[in-house]
Amino acid sequence: MSDTTLTLTPPESVVTPSTEVNGHSPKMLISMRNIWKTYQMGTESVHALHGVTFDIPRGEYIAIIGPSGSGKSTLMNLIGCLDTPSQGEYWLNGKNVSDMDDDELARIRNQEVGFVFQTFNLLARATALHNVELPLIYGGVGASQRHEMAKKALHAVDLTERMTHRPNELSGGQRQRVAIARALVNHPSILLADEPTGALDSHTSMEIMDLFERLHSEGNTIIVVTHEHDIAARAHRVISIRDGLIEKDERIR
Amino acid sequence: MFFVLFRGLQSLDLFRLTAIWEAFRVATASLRANKLRTALTLVGIIVGVTAVIAVVTIIKGLDQTVAQTFSSQGSTVFTISKNPQIIKSREEFIRSNRRKDVTHDDAEAIARLCTACWRVGVAANAIETVKYADQKAENVRIRGIDPITMFDIDGVSINVGRIWTESEGTSGREICVIGTDMLKNLFNDAPPDRAVGQEIRIDGRPYLILGVLEPLGSIFGFSRDNVVYIPYSTYQKAYGGRRSLVVFIQVNTAEQLEAAEDQVRTVMRNRRGHLNGDTDDEGFALETQDVFLNLYGSATSNIYIVTIGVAAISLVVGGIVVMNIMLVSVTERTKEIGIRKAIGARRKDILTQFLIEAVTVTAIGGAIGVGTGFGLAYIISALIGFPLLVSVASAVLGVGVSSVVGIVSGLWPAWRAAKLDPIEALRAE
Repeated sequence: MSDTTLTLTPPESVVTPSTEVNGHSPKMLISMRNIWKTYQMGTESVHALHGVTFDIPRGEYIAIIGPSGSGKSTLMNLIGCLDTPSQGEYWLNGKNVSDMDDDELARIRNQEVGFVFQTFNLLARATALHNVELPLIYGGVGASQRHEMAKKALHAVDLTERMTHRPNELSGGQRQRVAIARALVNHPSILLADEPTGALDSHTSMEIMDLFERLHSEGNTIIVVTHEHDIAARAHRVISIRDGLIEKDERIR
Repeated sequence: MFFVLFRGLQSLDLFRLTAIWEAFRVATASLRANKLRTALTLVGIIVGVTAVIAVVTIIKGLDQTVAQTFSSQGSTVFTISKNPQIIKSREEFIRSNRRKDVTHDDAEAIARLCTACWRVGVAANAIETVKYADQKAENVRIRGIDPITMFDIDGVSINVGRIWTESEGTSGREICVIGTDMLKNLFNDAPPDRAVGQEIRIDGRPYLILGVLEPLGSIFGFSRDNVVYIPYSTYQKAYGGRRSLVVFIQVNTAEQLEAAEDQVRTVMRNRRGHLNGDTDDEGFALETQDVFLNLYGSATSNIYIVTIGVAAISLVVGGIVVMNIMLVSVTERTKEIGIRKAIGARRKDILTQFLIEAVTVTAIGGAIGVGTGFGLAYIISALIGFPLLVSVASAVLGVGVSSVVGIVSGLWPAWRAAKLDPIEALRAE
């Protein structure tokens, strides 16, 4: 294990609004207020979420769990700023992202969110290093600083040796670690993992979950979306979603 | 404040360069990954650019040849003849055939009466086979001229030996001055002094070689040295005096050309009896080099128009192919677009990426087209024999135009890629 620590958000960049707005607590990293998401299916309106409210403080390790069709994926897309709610307010790191346009959301995703996907979603033709550099390219970081940061991130997930390999030359666990390095490289506010062990065997899954634990202990805010209870059990707080509503929100350690 | 602005611009610039470089890397990687597809995509662009570059280069070479050829005579010469050198219609042909022949007497009258004229001469041509010992040269132009200043009007000069004297010229003797092609075809490329004093046979008659001319080279693949000059009196003896001849008039300076033309026209109208203009036809043709140059100009401009047409069609087709391939590429790489968007690519980042990919394809096609165009022009110029003028401007234009085709045909696919929904795109396989 590497002794390099990754602190995702440097203290000086924390933006804290001076006053409380619409019941939103400025202390919270994530604050969702009465979130609705409605899809138009032909003539029918389908409510994927109806009135979800919760807060996540900085540094928390949280699992969002629920069966398929529960609204869990919709919630993840909203948290990850891939989508905006139909109603309600979402504050992320002091910014109201509820009605941002596409390009503003892209900025937020680049700066505030680190995604880890079930199928890794690495660019097949790019090396591990280039994959990790990608968020920095879109963040406008110059070449030399970019290499430096990407190497550091790969070092933090113990992949220094495999930097110049392409995804097809890496094992599943290694690919997921590249994806985690990519998620962390830009020092986002949250690490958002969608079924991060869904494509891995149980041994590799445990390694990835251990890595998450370490990243959490280093101060990162981690949100894992899953339907597996033993994965969710590694988190410190579990939010259960069912039929578009929060069924349970409990602290488990 | 200015410093802040400057730093702002600098970092913006840096970012654009980074993004463009990334887009270029992605573009070349994806083009390499689909080599056959890329090659097929390029065909239309290559054909279009090749056509333009080849034709522009060839015509530039011809232009120079024509300019050189005609500046050797200058624009100080015009001709009087029965049939125009360039007949533009059947009516003109029939009409000019009804005219009286232009004779030696016409030339003498012009020489006597035209005060603005400097030199006046006559020339008539026949095409014959020329023989020496067992050697034979075919399709040789036998040019009977009088007086010897016709050599100067024709712009030819003697290299070895001499031209005939004034009195020899009117004597009707079988003497000649040969073009350098005769050396090659009859004397096995012997040095010119070896030919002087020898006798060649034209139409069974022996002709004594007095001299050899300086070579003139060829125009449009036709040698200007495949000629034997003989005195007009001798020509008349061999071919009869009934054939119409051409009167050549040269003025001292180009400014006198118009005055000389007017005087000659008056003289000829008097001699043809059309002073009062009682018929449409003057009874003779007065022509300057402009006739040929105008014809050449309109021919080349027609070639330009056709080429631009061909190029435009192949560039449009090429553009449609590029657009089609780019649409396929966007569909194939929906997942990649989703990943890029998820980690922070904005619309313009994706748009730039696919635009650069399209422009890279077409610019490569343009560059190849420029290369093959110059290659084609080189081959043709070597075959026909005119200088190859490689113009940087046409190369830049070729690559530039094909890049524009890339932007135009890449825009729609790139826009479709840019406005993909990241969630939908990530779901793609």
